[in-house]
Amino acid sequence: MTDKPFNIDLSRLKTREKDRSAQAVEKTDRAGEELGFVAREPQKKRGRKPSPRTGQVHAKVMPGISEEIANEARRRGVQQGVIIEEAWKLYKNKSGI
Amino acid sequence: MPTVVIASPKGGAGKSTTAVLLGTELAHAGAKVVMMDCDPNQSLTLWADRGPLPDRISILSSVSESDIVKTIKRHDTDGQIVIVDLEGVASRLVSRAISQADLVITPMRATTLDATIGVRALQLISEEEEALDRKIPHAVVFTMTKAIKSKQHSGIAGSLAEQGVDLINPPLMERAAFSALFEFGGDLHTMPAQGNMEGAIENAAQFAQAVYQRLAGEAAE
Repeated sequence: MTDKPFNIDLSRLKTREKDRSAQAVEKTDRAGEELGFVAREPQKKRGRKPSPRTGQVHAKVMPGISEEIANEARRRGVQQGVIIEEAWKLYKNKSGI
Repeated sequence: MPTVVIASPKGGAGKSTTAVLLGTELAHAGAKVVMMDCDPNQSLTLWADRGPLPDRISILSSVSESDIVKTIKRHDTDGQIVIVDLEGVASRLVSRAISQADLVITPMRATTLDATIGVRALQLISEEEEALDRKIPHAVVFTMTKAIKSKQHSGIAGSLAEQGVDLINPPLMERAAFSALFEFGGDLHTMPAQGNMEGAIENAAQFAQAVYQRLAGEAAE
């Protein structure tokens, strides 16, 4: 027996064209599912990620102010807490806290 | 260059051993080989961690269902052979990998249970061929066979051959050296002698050659 029992002619080994489109993957998935080859990897959690804002303030403000804060938050697409955080930051800068 | 997918929904059929033997023997014969470990048990990665990787072999770990197609696409280029080792379950990862194969090898122990479950991989290939309108070459290799062929082995082999299934000859015999690959890493040519080393090397080389002939033959079509 030789140390290298057979030689490989790399030029004879070519890749074949394969369909890798989303449609082909879908067809593959469907063919597999019919025979019980289904998704078994844990799925990612659906829905909105939990907010990192877990602190809470218990503030009562004048009716007009609460409306203004709500409107501004809605306009910017942020939580009302963001407006309060920004206001607190400004207050800290102003007060030198 | 071709992508070889090692697939069987049956656990313990010898998929990872087949993948390592094929990869190391093809690399030993001069081919550059990329081995993809898609098994959550990470058998290939465990093998790779056991000793220095043989020349011309690289390994990719933790390839998942969502990235299998693009990972194969990235490496399925001229100049290297891709070998994909799959998990032993019926999963979407398996069906997606098969869709990208130039050759699917289904390792099977010569038992009724292995054959019954292993045949599901052959059914899946047939379904995918129809869905994708592409021929997916495939073959079965018997694993952990004994020197004397059992009646069960002969019966299963005969039944598969009757159905036109391509059987790789030689089968991979039960060898101490084959299982010791996962103890020592590397390949059969570098590991400390285990049992009938010469017989093991000859068996693995002939198996790899039989696979190479199929790949070259298919590529020449």
